Amino acid sequence: MNSTSLSGSKKVKNFGGASPHWFFLTPALVIVFAILIFPVIYSLYMSTFDWHLFYSAERKFIGLGNFFQLFKDREFLHSLWLQFGFVVIALPIETVIGFFVALLLNRDGKFYAVVRSLLLLPVFILPVISGLTWRLLLQPEYGMVSFFLEKLGFGIKAWLAEPDFAYGMVIVQDVWRMWPFMFMFIYAGLTGLPREIIEAAEIDGASFWTKVFKVILPQLRPTIATAFLLRLVDALRIFSEVYVMTGGGPGNATMLLSLYINKQAFEFFNIGYAASMGVVLLILALFLSFFIVRGNVKFEGERG
Amino acid sequence: MKTNQSVKRLRKKLIPFLILIVSLFVLMIELMPIMVVVTSGFKRDIDIWARGPFYFKPTLESYKQVLSNRDFLLSLKNSLVVGLISTAISIIVGSMASYGLTRYVFKFKEIIAYTFLGFRMIPQISLVIPLYVMFNYLKLRDTLTGIVLAHVSFNIPYVVWLLLPFFAAVPRDYEEAARVDGATENQVFWRIFFPLVSPGLVVASVFAFLMSWNEFLYALILTSVNARTAPVAVNGLLGQYAPKWGQLTAAGTIMLIPVFVITLTLQKYIIKGLISGGIKG
Repeated sequence: MNSTSLSGSKKVKNFGGASPHWFFLTPALVIVFAILIFPVIYSLYMSTFDWHLFYSAERKFIGLGNFFQLFKDREFLHSLWLQFGFVVIALPIETVIGFFVALLLNRDGKFYAVVRSLLLLPVFILPVISGLTWRLLLQPEYGMVSFFLEKLGFGIKAWLAEPDFAYGMVIVQDVWRMWPFMFMFIYAGLTGLPREIIEAAEIDGASFWTKVFKVILPQLRPTIATAFLLRLVDALRIFSEVYVMTGGGPGNATMLLSLYINKQAFEFFNIGYAASMGVVLLILALFLSFFIVRGNVKFEGERG
Repeated sequence: MKTNQSVKRLRKKLIPFLILIVSLFVLMIELMPIMVVVTSGFKRDIDIWARGPFYFKPTLESYKQVLSNRDFLLSLKNSLVVGLISTAISIIVGSMASYGLTRYVFKFKEIIAYTFLGFRMIPQISLVIPLYVMFNYLKLRDTLTGIVLAHVSFNIPYVVWLLLPFFAAVPRDYEEAARVDGATENQVFWRIFFPLVSPGLVVASVFAFLMSWNEFLYALILTSVNARTAPVAVNGLLGQYAPKWGQLTAAGTIMLIPVFVITLTLQKYIIKGLISGGIKG
């Protein structure tokens, strides 16, 4: 259940002089220090400066000034709000669809095996291609989604130029691509459940909904929680698909957090300020990851 | 009573049928956007613009244009090289670290293991700003070395974590037998253990390669001309006003080929990898 293998290893006699575990760990730790830990520290350092990319010589130390600035930056607060809405709307939908489709496809037979594997395809599609696809689907004159919207009586509109619609479609795009991820997780959890429990409920004459809410859902809670948190961390840093699909627009209607940071850093070149936002996002992500680790479900696969 | 029973019997027959229909419906909706991309690649721009989504008279025009586009070909080559090299480095270094974590007892071991997991969660946008400044200083911007390093940064923590359960599941008997025969730790790892865990290594390699292949943000910021990878090149084809959909979707389809091949052939391993490592979007 928990980290048995991590603590259960036996002590091994030393053959090569120095402790062998450092021999195995050092290369990874060195690389990770150079391109992960050091940049993180460096971005903390950068975040304390008023620092323009092309005038590095004129950078000015301002302590926590950038962070105070954040609370007054309406565009940042707007991005934060969009990001929050994105997570709060998209993830529950993905979880619910994933859960019910997992129930639906939890059947034996070649057909269902094929359906399950085909459903996985969108998860692995390049985010860039996904954004591109939805941009094509929503083209006013010749996109397929627009075609159906028109048939439903919505007329022809430049859909991605309508703020609310563009934001909604960014969410639809994400739901389309990522619910199968939730599905696969939940399906794996479902097949791991002991059959007797469900069968016992069936013999007792439990209805479908009782079975779902009283038997299956409580058993799957750790699985769903882990999958949800993993998705959450990924949803926080969504970038490529939105960048390609809407570029953050129209206006800043789809300017999610990563896009706004990118804009500040590489369009306005305020890299000190952008770094401070990066730090906030980083802290948020690590804070959430803490719960994944504490849930300890990640270690389940390990048998020592 | 009697009607009640026949209703029950009818339901028993009807439900599997309904499930089948619903499954097909879900599948259709899920695959439709992919179909649109793949079919559009075989259309001419003018037909996409003027004849709507359902006109389909396949032509290789767009593929010819894309495949004679030198910039795109270079980016495709870059993507392949960066993917293969960063995967190789991540697998070698990552599997060593993972082995160290599953096979030895030492101080701070759990902290190190959790730290690797934490690294996997770092948002790329937070890292790309310091990396940009660092790479500028080290003259690594727009070089293959630079982008390989950037990709290694997210692949190593991922590989370490993905491999932990695979490694932990392997019995220690072979390694111990080899040690008794006088093999060094180094030999035990490379000659005995490494081949034993090849299924896990395949899964990790596939995921590392796919993540590198799909990666966009680092490539967008850290490369410009020489080391540009294919996702960035595809984005570059997207003009401001009238996107060349034929070429875009043809290029997109080419980029999807390895994804499809890998996902569909290694499906049962993929699910295992998905579960043990989680995935990045």
